[in-house]
Amino acid sequence: MFFHIVLERNMQLHPRHFGRNLRENLVSKLMKDVEGTCSGRHGFVVAITGIENVGKGLIRDGTGFVTFPVKYQCVVFRPFKGEILEAVVTMVNKMGFFAEAGPVQIFVSNHLIPDDMEFQSGDIPNYTTSDGSVKIQKDTEVRLKIIGTRVDATEIFCIGTIKDDFLGVINDPAAV
Amino acid sequence: MSIEPFNRLVKLTARAFYDDITKMESQPKTGRSDNRGIAVVVLDALTRRQWVREEDLAKELKLHLKQLRRILRFFEEEKLVTREHRKETAKGAKIYSAAVAATGDGQQTGKEGEEKIKLHTHSYCCLDYAQIYDVVRYRLHRMKKTLKDKLEDKNTVQEYICPNCGKRYNALDALRLVSMEDEYFHCERCNGVLVPENDKLVAQEVGDGDDNARRRQRENVKDQLERMEAQLKPLNDQLNRVKELAVPEFGSLQEWEARATAAARAANSSANDPSKSSQGLGYGGTPMPFLGETKVEVTFSGVEGKEGGVKSESASMDVKLMPPWMIKEGMNLTTEQRGELKQEAKMDGSSGQVDSSDDKKSTVQNGEGQNIQEEYFKAYYAALLKQRQEAVEAAKRQESLNMPDFDDLPSNRQVGMKSKREDDEADNDFEWEQPPISGNASESYKVNDLNAEAEPSGDDDDDGVDWESD
Ligand SMILES: [Zn+2]
Repeated sequence: MFFHIVLERNMQLHPRHFGRNLRENLVSKLMKDVEGTCSGRHGFVVAITGIENVGKGLIRDGTGFVTFPVKYQCVVFRPFKGEILEAVVTMVNKMGFFAEAGPVQIFVSNHLIPDDMEFQSGDIPNYTTSDGSVKIQKDTEVRLKIIGTRVDATEIFCIGTIKDDFLGVINDPAAV
Repeated sequence: MSIEPFNRLVKLTARAFYDDITKMESQPKTGRSDNRGIAVVVLDALTRRQWVREEDLAKELKLHLKQLRRILRFFEEEKLVTREHRKETAKGAKIYSAAVAATGDGQQTGKEGEEKIKLHTHSYCCLDYAQIYDVVRYRLHRMKKTLKDKLEDKNTVQEYICPNCGKRYNALDALRLVSMEDEYFHCERCNGVLVPENDKLVAQEVGDGDDNARRRQRENVKDQLERMEAQLKPLNDQLNRVKELAVPEFGSLQEWEARATAAARAANSSANDPSKSSQGLGYGGTPMPFLGETKVEVTFSGVEGKEGGVKSESASMDVKLMPPWMIKEGMNLTTEQRGELKQEAKMDGSSGQVDSSDDKKSTVQNGEGQNIQEEYFKAYYAALLKQRQEAVEAAKRQESLNMPDFDDLPSNRQVGMKSKREDDEADNDFEWEQPPISGNASESYKVNDLNAEAEPSGDDDDDGVDWESD
């Protein structure tokens, strides 16, 4: 699920960035530092959408670095148990398959793949129904349901299922 | 015929899922002691009706309208009942009562006069059989699915175990376990190939308790599932039985009224010809298979309806549920009547007795003097006995609230009694016959009127007051 929230961060800036462009430099460094990171609490920071304010800088003793408290708005993505996501398959193996929904990695173990889909090894490992009409392989798009998340301080990993109504393949690149 | 299985379905459903009223009593402040099971009573009552005005239903069930509404609203949300609310003038209300009465034997004459309903919003309710069928099936499906999902690990996290060192992993570790060389997961410690613990005996939630707890929980779920299957088997069977049948459909209130009226018209033209009546019903657009059935039902409610619009339940119920002694009591129910009876008994024992036998036999006896006299004596003794009982019973009865059937009986009795009195005065065996014929028109009329008025308003009548206050 996406959220638009305000976060705060103390940015340290090298004195060489001071000058007319101080603010721009601050923001671009913020983007570089923050976008794409993940915090267990807020989820993945997808994009910074604006700066609320930049506080007074504080010169650090001995280094000359200046610390600015920056309040910024950003879009974060935080997966939840029970949430339905659309994801792209990245890897298929005998144990199941991995998929990505944006920054989130999801593993679907083979017991949560419908029973009528069998694993086929080979150049392109895949799960296929007996009549061959549905196939899951790398780059297949699937709709899945999150059934568990592991949230660390800097990482979120999910496991999902496609063994339920309306879940499974939503497009098949091989068929196009 | 076709409606019976559906009614059974409703009754089973009521008992399976709505046995405990606490679910719907958001405010438990209703002082009335124990009203669990009311929901079942209401549903049962609805199976014996089609469209019914909620005020009427409340009175027949001796429920407060508010309470009934709350229950009906609950069932509306549960999708078992459809309701319609409409502002009606006296005329509008008459359409409904006419429809009810007309479906009986066209004897709505007694009714019409008393119908003085102002412009009020009236609510009507009716079982929605088609939807009930779906809703119950869906509910069972959900119940089963929830349990089965639990049982089949559907939403549980797969565990893996290293056969070499015994270290355990679960699916959330997957990212760390994949190897680029083959298609299996490998142990972090010894690089052995992990095997999924698909042993269904262990169902695990992430970070759940120990294995034993899981196993116990699993047994629990299994047990639950089995018990559910067993206990709901009658309901399931009934669902299967009903599956092939076309669903009874009453349509909207308006359609139903139109159909009922049309049916009555058809029935009037040819008394009991089923083909005719079905045509009449068809006019309203009902599916054909039910017409015969529907007609029967309508007749029921109609008969009751003519007796004051409120009784519908009791007439049919008495027959089934009331033990004979109850009926006798019923006679003496109202104070008026009781008084009358006693007087008569003193002055002329025979009169008291007559009414009891009268109702049943008058038609049969038709002018057979002997028979009548015999009956007279029998009845006389019966009446004496009855009176004694009745004194006791009456006391009891006044304490017991829920006897919807009593209102009904008095009206019948009264008719009988009055005719008897006349008989007594005439003192002629022959005259006996007459009250039913000539006297009926005027006498029974009044009686009906009394009743009818008493019920709609509820408090004009002494009887009504007695019973209501109790
Ligand atoms: Zn190992």
